[in-house]
Amino acid sequence: MKWKVIEKSKLPNLIGELAREYEIFAPVDRKSIGSFERLASGSEVSLDSRNTKKPPKDVFIPQTETLFTYKTGKQEVELAAPQVVIGQRVVLAVRPCDAKSFVLLDKFLSSGEYKDAYYKEKRKNTTIVGLACNHPLSTCFCTSLGGSPHGKEGLDVLLQDINDKYLIEPITERGEKLIEKFPWLKEAERADIDKAKKLSDDAEAAVKSKVSIDGVDNKLDGMFDDPIWEQICQKCLNCGICTFFCPTCCCFDVLDEDGKRIRIWDSCQFSCFTLHGSGHNPRPSGKERMRQRIMHKFNYFVKTHGESFCVGCGRCIQECPVNLDIREVVGAISALPTDKRSDND
Amino acid sequence: MEKLEKSLREIAEKLLSEKKVDLIIGYERGTRPLRTTPCFVNKTEDVQKLIWDSSCDNNLAKYVVDRKEKVGVVAKGCDARLIAVCIAENQVPKENVIIIGVPCLGVVDRKKVESKLEEKEILEATIEGEKIKVKGEEFELLLAKNDFLCDSCLTCKHRNPPIQDVLVGEEVPELTEVNEFTEVENLEAMAAEERWNHFNGELSKCIRCYACRSVCPLCYCKTCFVDQSIPTWFGKTNDLSDTMIYHIVRALHVAGRCVDCGACSRVCPVNINLRELMKKIEKIVKERYNFKAGLSLEEAPPLGDFKSEDPQEFIK
Amino acid sequence: MTNPYIPNLTVIRKITTENEAKDIKTFELTFKDSEAMKNFKYRCGQFAEISVFGAGECPIGIASSPMDKDAIQFTVKRVGVVTTALHNSEEGTVMGVRGPYGNGFPMERLEGRNVVIVGGGFAFTTLRSLANFILHKANREKFKDLTVIYGARNPGELIYKYDLEAWKKRDDINLNVTIDSAVPGWKGLVGFVPAVLKDVAPSSDNAIAVVCGPPIMYKFTMPVISELGFSPENVLLSFEMRMKCGIGKCGRCNIGEKFVCKDGPVFTYKEFQRMPKEY
Repeated sequence: MKWKVIEKSKLPNLIGELAREYEIFAPVDRKSIGSFERLASGSEVSLDSRNTKKPPKDVFIPQTETLFTYKTGKQEVELAAPQVVIGQRVVLAVRPCDAKSFVLLDKFLSSGEYKDAYYKEKRKNTTIVGLACNHPLSTCFCTSLGGSPHGKEGLDVLLQDINDKYLIEPITERGEKLIEKFPWLKEAERADIDKAKKLSDDAEAAVKSKVSIDGVDNKLDGMFDDPIWEQICQKCLNCGICTFFCPTCCCFDVLDEDGKRIRIWDSCQFSCFTLHGSGHNPRPSGKERMRQRIMHKFNYFVKTHGESFCVGCGRCIQECPVNLDIREVVGAISALPTDKRSDND
Repeated sequence: MEKLEKSLREIAEKLLSEKKVDLIIGYERGTRPLRTTPCFVNKTEDVQKLIWDSSCDNNLAKYVVDRKEKVGVVAKGCDARLIAVCIAENQVPKENVIIIGVPCLGVVDRKKVESKLEEKEILEATIEGEKIKVKGEEFELLLAKNDFLCDSCLTCKHRNPPIQDVLVGEEVPELTEVNEFTEVENLEAMAAEERWNHFNGELSKCIRCYACRSVCPLCYCKTCFVDQSIPTWFGKTNDLSDTMIYHIVRALHVAGRCVDCGACSRVCPVNINLRELMKKIEKIVKERYNFKAGLSLEEAPPLGDFKSEDPQEFIK
Repeated sequence: MTNPYIPNLTVIRKITTENEAKDIKTFELTFKDSEAMKNFKYRCGQFAEISVFGAGECPIGIASSPMDKDAIQFTVKRVGVVTTALHNSEEGTVMGVRGPYGNGFPMERLEGRNVVIVGGGFAFTTLRSLANFILHKANREKFKDLTVIYGARNPGELIYKYDLEAWKKRDDINLNVTIDSAVPGWKGLVGFVPAVLKDVAPSSDNAIAVVCGPPIMYKFTMPVISELGFSPENVLLSFEMRMKCGIGKCGRCNIGEKFVCKDGPVFTYKEFQRMPKEY
């Protein structure tokens, strides 16, 4: 299918038409915190700004989600599972780093013997329309994680901002079907495509922040008891910012509230995350919790799913209250001599 | 500034080499513009890392609680007062901490600078005297530092640490005239409904990351009421009714102890102005008990103490 | 698509108080839907997520033997919100059950071998399931000698006294029950599990040891197990971790890249030795 273009001024029309058939989620400047919200009308979308402060994961994993409701009577319980299958959705203007987070979340939540029904159904019914980054920030390091500011992984359609218009590239069959719904879209000209290519190259070069991920997973194998964790965790406050703002962190707690079984976001940085009923806590201090976060992202997930559980969006760097910079942490690990590896395997 | 830094490093080096402390907790340059980061120095050769300027916003009192070794802590007025509260509350043995007081003319609020620049990203920034020089792609700006200070610094009455063991540099003039409760008075002037809507709007942004709790030196409870499960005091969701209880109870828990260092507001990733709530309580405590936290190493906070002259008109 | 978070409804048929402190009870549950009971096929060593509606969910090892077809049993110590609510429930109360989860004991590896069961305290539940499974008349021939070493702090804390009595009468089980320190009236063994294990000294020839207990017990038992000549791959351990989902998604019960809920809770000692020390 050929690439299309849309003038920026026509975008609200497109969104308006889409809204008749789809629930649309898009970046919205809600209370001056950029987040992906369900659109009421096309006009609120903020596409010209930086990537959202909050990642788009809550489109699929809301911070609080009802798993089912129940009514308890005298020796009787009535369960009602919510309608897991939802209507068709479009998530608009997802940046390539965040799109990659969906690919990683799919690997974890939608794979294996048990599949997360709530996540998987939402994903199944959602078309992801990406928006390429022309101006990566100094905290962006997507290229170190195999991504790119104009990357296509995890997207059904990619929009590239070429000044007065967007170049529209369908990537998957689902994306093609979405574009077909707009026969009035103009076909892209050679110049549009060339321009996008140039912007893509420029953006890629503009990602100055580099993290040497290669070999870090292997190195971490022998580093469980390394003194480095003591150093790294020293300034960490053990708040939940890095995990809550991470597009891939998806740990949750399950509890009952008001006739509902709900799940809520949880964080490996919280002290009671692993506190067992017996009082035993395998991760009693900040050291173990910090180690878990780094190990999970750059070692455990590589072992179980073949790649790092990080997309290089830089949100944890921007939001950390004590400037604990994950690039420095990975850099420090990567700089350690290789003979640190233990020989127990 | 350079003179202060030099003096700070000399003090730190002396404390370490004379073995008066095992560790110096201060600030070093961070990885981002206008960003410093807590720095832990236990070797004299590392004191060169220590810096001091108006971007040293983290409250280092947090790192003093629960330490076995003797520490020297770089402390602004607010930090020093919080260490004093922790000492008065028996959380930190006085003999284990040396307060390296730094007179402070206020710290820069990065959020204010960032919002001034809107979508432009700051790539480099330096604080030069009264100016902040910010540079980015195709722009360079000189900003007046005083326009970008944290709100808590604008009404700070203890820019010189009221309690310290060694002072870096010289004392600075205090803001004696400023009314520190203007914001609270504005809130008080609101109609109840308007105020309710205001707090609803602020607290509905909360995502329960607990950064406000984690950063607060006074939140040293072994198990926070949030994490208690038998009984579970309130819900854990990000629903407004739950987030509101969290913030109100936390505010009450630091009543008469909070020194308005502003750390909770600074770290809040969704920009909730938590200071408002704290400041109102601070005002009540001041009016009823004529008490201000963190000015004494001995006096217990009024809500954790009883005196026969305490107001007790509620007993009828 | 099946939704793994939705529990099956069950009814508490019987509650048995197991210890003198009355904080350990066995709950016998029957499924409301007989199809669900049939589909609930489990092996020894697996666990399930038990729901007390209004209090929440928690993972509990299955204490009954897979040979018991009409009900499942869970022995629960009262420690937290859910277990307290469970303890306060009466017979007839409707509970939720999801599962079975986890790998369970590798029965095919135990068949044709001598089995040594070593358990301490309240962690004896899945071991009891295993012992009863082996002792079942339909299975007993498949296994060789069965040795059980089980210890509790004092006689009042021994659970499954009715099973212990029944086992004692049999000649196809070498049962060794011990308490930590002597009390008047106790005629049995006295001493910690590792010490008793050393005295009993079961042969490691063609044998597999199955060990369950608190983390501290592993620490002292493993050296004895090794001394007896059990190679690490012939020792099975079962772990307890804080869990929420039971299916490897909520992210908290991992030791290294292994999720205790999904890849465990049973690991060989050899696997355990290769794991990071975070238990």
